[in-house]
Amino acid sequence: MRKSLMRVFSLGLMASMSTALLPVLTFAGTYNLTVDKVLIDTGDFTKEGIGYNGKSPGPILRFNEGEEVTINVTNNLEETTSIHWHGLILPYQMDGVPKISYPGIEPGETFTYKFPIVQTGTYWFHSHSGFQEPDGAYGSIVIDPKKRKPFRFDRDYVVQFTDKHPHSGKRIMRNLKMASDYYNRQQQTLGDFLSDVNKNGFEATVSDRLDWGSMRMMATDVEDVQGFTPLINGKGPEQNWTGIFNPKERVLLRLINSSAMTYFDVRIPGLKMTVVASDGNYVQPVTVDELRIGVAETYDVLVRPKDDKAYTIFGASMGQTAYARGTLAPRDGMSADIPEMSIRPLLTMADMGMDHGTMEGMDHSSMRGMGSKEDKFYAKGSGIAPTAANGGKFLSYVDLKAQKPLYKEREATREIELRLTGNMERYIWSINGVKYEDADPIKLQYGERVRFKFVNETMMTHPMHLHGMWSILDVGAGKWNPAKHTISVAPGTTVYSETEVDATGQWAFHCHLSYHADAGMFRKVVVEGGPKTASLTTTGKGVPQ
Amino acid sequence: MKIKRSFLSGVAGVTLTATLAVSTAIAFAAGNQDGHHGDKAATGEPGKASEVSRTIEIKMFDAYYEPEDISVKKGETIRFKVVNAGELVHEFNIGTAATHSAHQEEMMLMVEHGVLEADKVNRNMMKMGMGNGMTMDHSDPNSALLAPNETAEIIWKFADGEELEFACNVPGHYDAGMMGEFSIE
Repeated sequence: MRKSLMRVFSLGLMASMSTALLPVLTFAGTYNLTVDKVLIDTGDFTKEGIGYNGKSPGPILRFNEGEEVTINVTNNLEETTSIHWHGLILPYQMDGVPKISYPGIEPGETFTYKFPIVQTGTYWFHSHSGFQEPDGAYGSIVIDPKKRKPFRFDRDYVVQFTDKHPHSGKRIMRNLKMASDYYNRQQQTLGDFLSDVNKNGFEATVSDRLDWGSMRMMATDVEDVQGFTPLINGKGPEQNWTGIFNPKERVLLRLINSSAMTYFDVRIPGLKMTVVASDGNYVQPVTVDELRIGVAETYDVLVRPKDDKAYTIFGASMGQTAYARGTLAPRDGMSADIPEMSIRPLLTMADMGMDHGTMEGMDHSSMRGMGSKEDKFYAKGSGIAPTAANGGKFLSYVDLKAQKPLYKEREATREIELRLTGNMERYIWSINGVKYEDADPIKLQYGERVRFKFVNETMMTHPMHLHGMWSILDVGAGKWNPAKHTISVAPGTTVYSETEVDATGQWAFHCHLSYHADAGMFRKVVVEGGPKTASLTTTGKGVPQ
Repeated sequence: MKIKRSFLSGVAGVTLTATLAVSTAIAFAAGNQDGHHGDKAATGEPGKASEVSRTIEIKMFDAYYEPEDISVKKGETIRFKVVNAGELVHEFNIGTAATHSAHQEEMMLMVEHGVLEADKVNRNMMKMGMGNGMTMDHSDPNSALLAPNETAEIIWKFADGEELEFACNVPGHYDAGMMGEFSIE
């Protein structure tokens, strides 16, 4: 009698386990998510927001390479919702963008996503409806490989950053439309004027201010939106998310930037970070002291804390107005010193693509093997090119080289220019001067290799994200150019990326700064042609090599 | 360390070795003798083919070794057959964490001078003088630097050094975990 009771008990437990969100290590797992109103407590303030399975951030979904996943999403909100799997290669109907992939998920409805996992690494997911993502609707994805990983670690942690604001996303957008500098608290003052006169002389200072005035921009606009509290895994700096380690262990930190608008400069004083993956793909390992993670990007870094003490994970916002803070420690309750933020950077004329007479000396770029100290992904003389706070090495895109290229190298079949444009005064953001609602879709043919030329004619850094297909960033490494899903384009620069067009359907392509995307820096990409049987179970990863 | 009489009886050589081992152990314990006669004595030295006791195959992948732990006996001579089964350049280098650290800086120089590429070794450039009387010649007997599919053999005689590691010093690889440990008995 007792034995059968135990059997029923354990079956019941297993049943409830599979409907909860514990990862089931089968090759056809079912996962259930609910989209709910939640309360978010940052330590600085509490605010109602949106989360998954009752919490923000949502859960870590752990999949296996080769698994056929079924994800049931139930909408408990009073408005339409959606979930987009950021960086995943899948049939376009499963991509989760309302009006491009599907109509969205209505209140009370359950939508079932079903697709095969054809890749490995660290990714994330988030709502693609309204401003639900800045309001808290984001989570993470970890996909374990079939084969052995190309690096060793003893434990891993998801370290997910966001910029939670006391205002809702809708309210922030309204305020930005009303006054684009609404959240820009660091406007230059009379005091700044006088100290600049002291430093540079009266004429030079007046001329500088007039130049900026004529462009209707303020030199301090590194960040559109300020006043947020940065979180790590849902915890503010005071709440101090902590990851435990045993000294001498190798720990893999899966850094994910799930912010609406903020780039973070991440460092761990006392520990170097070895970057082993970028946007989910393995890169040749490179050890750095600090890195800048753009909105929507991910970096997998290995650290090896040797001492029995705590280390601070420090992420300063790019404009140095706020910081995210967590801890790596051998035991709970420990903490290390929190570093000071650096001097707030100011944009320069160089970032506007204008060089006011500064002459460069020799052109070092043509000398093979001689490393230039300047990062070519920032304008020469840029005010926002980062340097490591401890004087060490700061990661540049130039350091990212694919460990195992996804595609064979070949000439692009054509080039498409995308000028990143905007009118800061009216908070309009666009591509080639045209907003999303007024634009034709970008039409691509299955089988071509398109070279995208991003020309940033604005003052802001834009993380450009193409859904459904990889963007092979041109870092000058030929066949070793890394495949990414999000490409950051700094002001006053031109960046190239190439895409092997191998996914039929329609895909979103947009700046991942939430308020820019909504303001019009967005396009629909239509891929015509391709295999007739583009069914849900057949998705190729790349053009056959 | 007590040695049983029955074990010793009859074999003079064994007695001698055992005694030596005991005296060395006592010396370490007393702490009044510097066990290191320079790095070479601790790390070991190139071995003679005639003294090889066994052969170990080392496979190098991106970026890890198979196997990752190797047990050796003091004084043993081992032949390592190293093959690069990966797609990137790798090194198999026997040394201590300190020698590896120094070597990593040297390898970084090789990358900066274009001698070392991700999947290629430009050996003709190695003889190039660097202007300070040094070249980047990579011909140490305790190390094999291989491009994908290349193979090499290293015959090494182990001394009684502690904390001996085998490692790849190509920039970034050691930090990514491409190292293994020798347990010396």
